[in-house]
Amino acid sequence: MNSEFKQVVRVYKRNKLAVVAFFIALILMILAVIGPYLAPYDPVEINLQLRFEPGFWEGSTDHFLGTDNLGRDIFSRILYGTGISLKVGYAVIAITAVIGLFIGLVSGYFGGVVDIVIMRFIDILLAFPPLLLALVIAATLGTGIEKAMLAIAIIYIPSLARIVRGSVLTVKEMPYVEASRAMGAGNIWIILGHVLPNVLTPVIVYLTLLLGDAILYTAALGFLGVGIDPTTPEWGAMLSSGKDFLILGKWWITVFPGIMIFLAVLSFNLFGDGLREAVDSKLRL
Amino acid sequence: MALYKYFIKRLALTLPTLIGVSIIVFLLIHMIPGDPVDIMLGDRVTDAARLALEERLGLNQPLHIQYWNWFSNAIRGDFGISIRSNQPVIEEIMSRLPATVELTVVALLIAVIFGILFGVSAARYRNTPIDYSMIGFSLLGVSIPIFWLGMMLIFFFSVMLGWLPVSGRLAMGTAIPQVTGLYLVDALISGKIGAFWDALKHLALPAFSLATVSLALIVRVTRSSMLDILSEDYIRTARAKGVHESKVIYTHALKNAMIPVVTVIGLQLAKLMGGAILTETVFSWPGIGRLIITAIGVRDYPVVQGVVFFVAFAFIAINIVVDLFYAYLDPRIRYD
Repeated sequence: MNSEFKQVVRVYKRNKLAVVAFFIALILMILAVIGPYLAPYDPVEINLQLRFEPGFWEGSTDHFLGTDNLGRDIFSRILYGTGISLKVGYAVIAITAVIGLFIGLVSGYFGGVVDIVIMRFIDILLAFPPLLLALVIAATLGTGIEKAMLAIAIIYIPSLARIVRGSVLTVKEMPYVEASRAMGAGNIWIILGHVLPNVLTPVIVYLTLLLGDAILYTAALGFLGVGIDPTTPEWGAMLSSGKDFLILGKWWITVFPGIMIFLAVLSFNLFGDGLREAVDSKLRL
Repeated sequence: MALYKYFIKRLALTLPTLIGVSIIVFLLIHMIPGDPVDIMLGDRVTDAARLALEERLGLNQPLHIQYWNWFSNAIRGDFGISIRSNQPVIEEIMSRLPATVELTVVALLIAVIFGILFGVSAARYRNTPIDYSMIGFSLLGVSIPIFWLGMMLIFFFSVMLGWLPVSGRLAMGTAIPQVTGLYLVDALISGKIGAFWDALKHLALPAFSLATVSLALIVRVTRSSMLDILSEDYIRTARAKGVHESKVIYTHALKNAMIPVVTVIGLQLAKLMGGAILTETVFSWPGIGRLIITAIGVRDYPVVQGVVFFVAFAFIAINIVVDLFYAYLDPRIRYD
């Protein structure tokens, strides 16, 4: 396992862009944790006297990135927002992993009627355009970051379940599974001890690729004002509050949160792509 | 298997999915925490108004009867009456559908035409600055939040340069006779070149921002597919025979490189339909995306249900068409 990991790291390091992306992603992950301690102001404190204050480009040192339409400090909001976006991203990964793995394992391992019913249900979920599905589920569940996490995870669970099921179908025919069964192992033992460890690689790659996408959907829900409270210092919600002031020339309210979304999505996407290439090359060897 | 047999098989497989979709959409209204009638009407209403709405939505009947009534009406296009506007939901959808169709189709055209053009150029001039800039573009394009891109385009082209309008489909005072509801087409039919130009200017920024992600993906797939094909023996033979390079690229290689590209284009339709919700919000584009966001905001559940079912239905239908087209291009698929 250790030498396999080293092999993946070696191939990954050859992709310079992916290495840069990894470090940006790492910085974002650190910012998500320490951001609130670095923030100079309270991210939700309203101060109408300080509306639309420009930032460093006009020599302001009080508010580095300026203030928004309610006088809130944009730099502080962005720092808090990093934590929110990444937290939602991780939670979406965790929910998708647990439910997707469970469904895929059960469906692939047991087959038969269970498999048919589950796969039909998955087809149904895949029949909705993803954003629309997340949108109506978030709208139905109501406002709250936890509910938004669930709504976004539902986009990915069907695809992950399909990937897992596909791998399980191959793994369960392997001689070591047969041997284990011949020695009297039960289904749960075989699934957890033999099948699960051998389907994990594609799952990990899929989950890594999903992080950037999940951050983008979070921002989209925040922007549309569905599922995420519009006062939250969430990047998408910040864009939404600055949208109407663009035509007044107050560009900083929308430019900076947008750059953060872009940077986060781009770095996690490149990281995921690099990882997939590295793992694929390992599989080929 | 003949194409029509494949079509029938594909259609039969779709039926259970469609019924499942309808059940989910129907259950949406019952998944709202609390009493839907309270949420829709607010607290200060008379009992009579409550009962009337319950009666109208059929909420006083057993669940399976409610579903059957809803479904049998929905497949005939009757999604009930909007709570806010008191108009039939289907009329609300139909009056906004052309705006969304026009936006999505133009975005798809931009993505396909420029995507293939850029992808082919990147492959043809491999490892040159042209190739690198195309790779860079496709890398950035797939990660950019289109709603942010739209706002930045508004700021640059509308606010700073003043070249293009900020929002809407037409300038105030411009009129186009309604035939299809697609303003570009209607303006051409009625011979109003000024109105056509105006509609085009309104469409430019929303269509471009909506197209970006798909465009980037199509560039990427076209490039790699072309590179595979260009290393084939028959391309070398064509070149050795002295066929002009443009002919090698566009006649010999492109045709065979198109199959993966067509698959990606098919997949992009779903992305565009989702993206339209965001783009329409940024540009105040009066389409279906705006309709559902407004309906969610005011808890107009018949409209929400109607739009979701309508869009999912359209999405399933489009997928069938894409599959058929694909089966026509690549007959091996029909035997799977």
